[in-house]
Amino acid sequence: MPDAPSDLPEAAQRRFSQGAFSSELSVSDFAACLDMGLEPVGLVQGFCAMRWGAFTMNGMGRGLNPYSSNQGGYVQNYQCPHGMISSEHRSWGQNYQQTWVEDAWRTGFNNAYSRMMEEAQTLGAHGVVGVIDSESPLSDTGVVEFHLRGTAVKVIDMPAPTATPWSTFLAGQRLAKVFEAGYAPVSIVTSVASIRVWAYCMTEYLMDGTGGMWANAGGSAEITQVVDAQTTVRDLTRSRVRSSLHGDALHGAHLEVSMREFSKGDMELQSRLSGNRVRRFKDFDPLALPKPTVRLS
Amino acid sequence: MSDISSTPRPSLKDEVRRAFTTTGAPGANSSAVTSDLSIDEELNLHSIGWEPVELVSGVSFHSIPYGYWNWGQGEIEGASSAHATAFTNATTRLLREAGAAGGHGVVGVHIERAVHPRHIEISLVGTAVRPVDTTKRLERSVFASDLSARDFTMLMIAGWEPLGLATGASFVFAPRRSMSTAIQQQSQNVELTNFTEAMYTAREAAMQRMQEAAIAMHGTGVVDVKVQEGPMSFATHAVAFVAMGTVVRLATSTHQLIHPTMVVSMNDPSVDFDAQTLA
Repeated sequence: MPDAPSDLPEAAQRRFSQGAFSSELSVSDFAACLDMGLEPVGLVQGFCAMRWGAFTMNGMGRGLNPYSSNQGGYVQNYQCPHGMISSEHRSWGQNYQQTWVEDAWRTGFNNAYSRMMEEAQTLGAHGVVGVIDSESPLSDTGVVEFHLRGTAVKVIDMPAPTATPWSTFLAGQRLAKVFEAGYAPVSIVTSVASIRVWAYCMTEYLMDGTGGMWANAGGSAEITQVVDAQTTVRDLTRSRVRSSLHGDALHGAHLEVSMREFSKGDMELQSRLSGNRVRRFKDFDPLALPKPTVRLS
Repeated sequence: MSDISSTPRPSLKDEVRRAFTTTGAPGANSSAVTSDLSIDEELNLHSIGWEPVELVSGVSFHSIPYGYWNWGQGEIEGASSAHATAFTNATTRLLREAGAAGGHGVVGVHIERAVHPRHIEISLVGTAVRPVDTTKRLERSVFASDLSARDFTMLMIAGWEPLGLATGASFVFAPRRSMSTAIQQQSQNVELTNFTEAMYTAREAAMQRMQEAAIAMHGTGVVDVKVQEGPMSFATHAVAFVAMGTVVRLATSTHQLIHPTMVVSMNDPSVDFDAQTLA
């Protein structure tokens, strides 16, 4: 067994050295792994609890200055076309990338991931299959818990690993098909982007249908500030994931976008993209045309 | 399309060992691809000589001015046209991204739509695809389809091709009953013809619009049509009808018969994997 990483709990080291394995694989996935020559060696996990409130700034620090920069992050300003109306009139708006939220998320996820992979290395595993990741709030304290877990496996009849283990969200038959298709798993990939939308008057009017004569004489129009934010938050996530692929492919991607409104005209968009980074190990092999079947049951 | 290979395939264990002994540098043997297709769907695509290229999306938010929902008669044209514009804008952005990535089309488009009192949201996400033989030139505009990669494969095998997404939406007022009619009908089991007629009006307008969109794309039909209809919580006297699907046309001279094989599964329903095959 390779030397255990220093921060692995002593109890975990003792448990891993006892010989019996644990696994979260279903019986069918377990059997499929054995069929592929993958031997489960242990259920590995990583945790990280991140204090979250300080990173969101709770509404402070944005919407204060339309001419502020964003330390290299995306920022886009919107100017009121009406002139000075009243002190309550939103004379400017801003879309603002919340790099501090993204950094906090990345730190929490990466810490949990690297701790899971440390456990896999301790077990002498070649890879981790069936990875499941979750993030959930711990009570009502502004703390988010990142939790990753998966089943560490060894490739039977292969020499002990010298590199970092590979990882994949897949297990069982779906993983078998990846190998048969000529791809080897490299790692799971996940990225998050966060944009705050501080609405200007036109966005407010168009979203709420208010504003009377100021809202484009009652006509309807596309809400460009929100469209810009929605488009950019997706672009940021995808470009970040692409830059981490280094020419490999991302399979089974899942793109999730959420929008929440903190107060009137103050919205946050969050986009998350995750998937399996895979690398082709043999040339494209033309497959037979699928044979259509009708199942009688 | 590829021929059935007669070469015996190596065992799965051998393939797995080969994967980890011959894997080269990142990207040495593959291009940077992002895709939300499952491995089954990708294999389906490969079987007809297509491959995924890029995960693409298109979004539009369109406003609906105040006061459109509660009083009036006939179609709520502002809401119907806002829906149509939002869908067109989102589709245009999706296709622009697909074209920029070198895709010939987008399959498995997930359509998320929400109608709020003051605005409409349309969000489209799918995977841009192209023939594996990248020397094939794109002979027509990029298509979008909400068919899964499996259904796209079956469609192509049958000699048909997708042309694009078609949608039709209509929002119609259900006229309010007179006070005397409402009181008279309060204790009766009676059809509310104002709502029934509004549904028919909305249905005809929406289906007509979807059909016109299909004809504009030179399609011969629309498959996998999804219909969403009914009242909206924020507008008690308005009904909505939305229809959308993939426009198709015959790409070969005749329809290719599929001839499916009938199979009877002898597996126990609770067992997904046959442990007897283990070495």
